[in-house]
Amino acid sequence: MLDLPIAPLDETITIDQLTLAPYPIYRRLRAEAPVLRVKSVGRTFLTKAADCKFVKDTPAIFSSDDPNTPMKRAFQAHTLMRKDGPEHMAERMAMAPALMPKTIQEVWAPLYRRLVDVYLDRLPRGEVVDLHKLLSGPIAARILAHILGIPEATDEQMIFWSQALIDGAGNFGWLPEPFVISDHANLEMDALLARAVERVRAEPDRSALSVMVNAENPIPMSQIVANIKIAIGGGINEPRDALSTIVFGLLTEPEQLEEVRRTGKWGAAFEEGVRWVAPIQASSRLVLEDVEIRGFRIPRGDTVMTIQASANHDEELFDHPERFDIFRVRNPHQAFGSGPHHCGGAHVARRTVGAIMLEALFERFPDMSLPDPGIVMWRGFGFRGPINLPVKLG
Amino acid sequence: MKITFVAADGTRTQVQAREGDSVMHTAVQNDVDGIIGECGGSMMCATCHCYVDDGWTEAVGGQEEGESDLLDCAASEVRPTSRLSCQIRMRAELDGIVIHLPESQL
Repeated sequence: MLDLPIAPLDETITIDQLTLAPYPIYRRLRAEAPVLRVKSVGRTFLTKAADCKFVKDTPAIFSSDDPNTPMKRAFQAHTLMRKDGPEHMAERMAMAPALMPKTIQEVWAPLYRRLVDVYLDRLPRGEVVDLHKLLSGPIAARILAHILGIPEATDEQMIFWSQALIDGAGNFGWLPEPFVISDHANLEMDALLARAVERVRAEPDRSALSVMVNAENPIPMSQIVANIKIAIGGGINEPRDALSTIVFGLLTEPEQLEEVRRTGKWGAAFEEGVRWVAPIQASSRLVLEDVEIRGFRIPRGDTVMTIQASANHDEELFDHPERFDIFRVRNPHQAFGSGPHHCGGAHVARRTVGAIMLEALFERFPDMSLPDPGIVMWRGFGFRGPINLPVKLG
Repeated sequence: MKITFVAADGTRTQVQAREGDSVMHTAVQNDVDGIIGECGGSMMCATCHCYVDDGWTEAVGGQEEGESDLLDCAASEVRPTSRLSCQIRMRAELDGIVIHLPESQL
């Protein structure tokens, strides 16, 4: 192992380039340098699907507990996202009953259907509206507030807290301002959660907060609060961006849209959308021992970045990966990750956005169109999606 | 050694398996429809749910610790023969095992 070279160093790729147009860069890296230290990010990029999966599936070598990130500072706590082993498992399973298919089917799906009706009702017809801002974000915030057990939080509060936590957790420059904002969000969330805890104690329901608080052997209250926060930080952007991405894909591929409407295969459209532009594009893992990847020695203490955005475009697994194509026979994407940290919200996302929202939206607005796809802007390196979606609802 | 997968519609697919590999891994490697195994065998996604054929339940043995919690997360009906196929490792006694697949994993 010591004889192996370390991965080459790139000093040209900038975070701006990765934010604006990452896919051409990843295509080049998959072909030329699938294991690459990227100076601007300070991480070793892994851009092949097999390597991303290997890292996520091997937590004994690749730890989620990287102390050098601003996440702990932003959340004022060590959340389950950054834990390993039994400790992570105990905290994850504490919340899991609220996110399992049985609960979704009995509680969240019927509620989501009603919410979707309300949110679609208020969209104005006949004019161009930003669907991303008016629908994708707010509906993601609303259902999440219910699932987490804090329905008293407004959509605006949920969206503000989520963004404040994300900006704080991504504040790798350790600037003061993002932490001022995330501290403020923490104060608001703590106050609301204190009241919500009392409510679910008095009237238990099937929300995440309630099942954690009322468990036979509850995890510490500090961790209940921390993990509700990680779900706020990590539960809005992804369904929001997934919905906007899929709607964009379907509106720009009318033949595919027609076929989905004919066959009802909205699930395939959902899977293809999250493959095509994965809402979470990259994840970090701390290397606990020297390990070889593609002939390179990855030294202990290094931080690798699995680029699932790139894994989902790996030519070894996907034909014409750059195209939105719901007709793929196989779609082994890694948009929900793999291993112990596989997305806890995957079932919810599939059974709300995938199984309910898409069909309801296109049924309500069968003539919906995207007058100018060219003005849709895509942004993001860690998280990615359209930041606007001006559609005409007809 | 061999595994036979029986899809929900009755279609049978026989594949070669390697000792030590999980049933989930074998299915995914051989493109068997009906097993997804999205979390790679960490007992986190419940998308490798299967029903062990009645003739093989004894040889396979019971659920692993924590497995029933995840089976609660499976999309299709859970039965006494339900297992997560990522938790079944192939060994000599399981050569020829028959695995039934559920209607849906998502």
